[in-house]
Amino acid sequence: MLMQHGAESALVESVTRRLGLALGVRSVEVAIMANALTVTTLSENHCITTVRRNEDRGINMHMVTEVQRAALAVEAGELDCAGFRERIEAITPQRYPRWLVALMIGLSCACFARLAGADWLSCLLTFGAGTLAMMARQWFAARHFNPLVTFFAAAFVATSYAGQGVIYKIGSTPKIAMASCVLLLVPGFPMINSVSDMVKGYINTGLSRGMMAVLLGAATSAGIILAMTVWNVWGWL
Amino acid sequence: MNTVFQLLQNMLFAAVPAVGFGLVFNVPRDALIYCAAGGAIGRGLRFLLVTSGMPIELATFLAASVVSFLGVYIAQRMRAHPKVFTVAAMIPMIPGVPFFTALIAVGEIQRHGLTPDLFATAITSGLRATFIVAALAVGLALPGLLFYRRKPVV
Repeated sequence: MLMQHGAESALVESVTRRLGLALGVRSVEVAIMANALTVTTLSENHCITTVRRNEDRGINMHMVTEVQRAALAVEAGELDCAGFRERIEAITPQRYPRWLVALMIGLSCACFARLAGADWLSCLLTFGAGTLAMMARQWFAARHFNPLVTFFAAAFVATSYAGQGVIYKIGSTPKIAMASCVLLLVPGFPMINSVSDMVKGYINTGLSRGMMAVLLGAATSAGIILAMTVWNVWGWL
Repeated sequence: MNTVFQLLQNMLFAAVPAVGFGLVFNVPRDALIYCAAGGAIGRGLRFLLVTSGMPIELATFLAASVVSFLGVYIAQRMRAHPKVFTVAAMIPMIPGVPFFTALIAVGEIQRHGLTPDLFATAITSGLRATFIVAALAVGLALPGLLFYRRKPVV
């Protein structure tokens, strides 16, 4: 459950172990793989092992927080096994409205452009491109496309839009706009999780998350290169 | 005066992306304000350190660890894992442009053949991106590595 929503390995292991001990079993061993979780519990001289598959459900910190709070409540003795199950099943992933997310991401990209030294007109261009790209990303994600396809398409949309700025000479720094508008596609969370997993000794999950981040980046740059070829604007190198 | 203005501008423009990406990561509503604060503090601190002549990797590392220590303090009051909001606060410091520049340069090498310029771009941007991300992640993990070695943060 935690893994599906993008928590790091050390957190998954420690929450599972503490939850098990709080519910009264003698010991809990957890083996974490990239897309499955093996949990063995030892209670009253019986070993119970389950393997749970985890699918990637997108990053949702709200879920991570709620699951952890429920586990803490068990540890404090406020909840028993049945109560915990009830509480976990009652959690529904909270999502922010899509238009709000898209607008905020557009604004974020405009801020990145400004930080990189673009003028206001280019920031406006970046805002449009970022918003449009985020909407494209949500559209593809809602139809359950592979994330690689989603990132490819979103990068193509963003670069095509910002590329018009270079063609029609909008603003004095359209190239910064082209570079900033795809920053919403940087897989920052997998990158950081990957390194911190590896620092804490979970080389396996760290490597697979890192590889996923690089692949998403490769898909994005393929989208950028395609858009630059189609419109014949070369803004990056 | 100019530096102060630039610092404020940096902090303001870093707080917005931190919140924006907080929305993408579905950070709980009451933690969004900490994303903004963390983003502003991290980016502002890094800006100060870089302008005073420190290499960017080291500055990133220090800024990330300061945000992480603040995050631990807030997390204990909120009863939530600090990563919930500190990672969103790191987003304004992620080296997105070098990351994509490296990958695009690799694509260009494939299309046009190897030139020293393209090769140099690919290697330097790739290394820069890798080192800054490593600095961010290790900086974030620092409280766990130094003080919470045998006990959980929350």
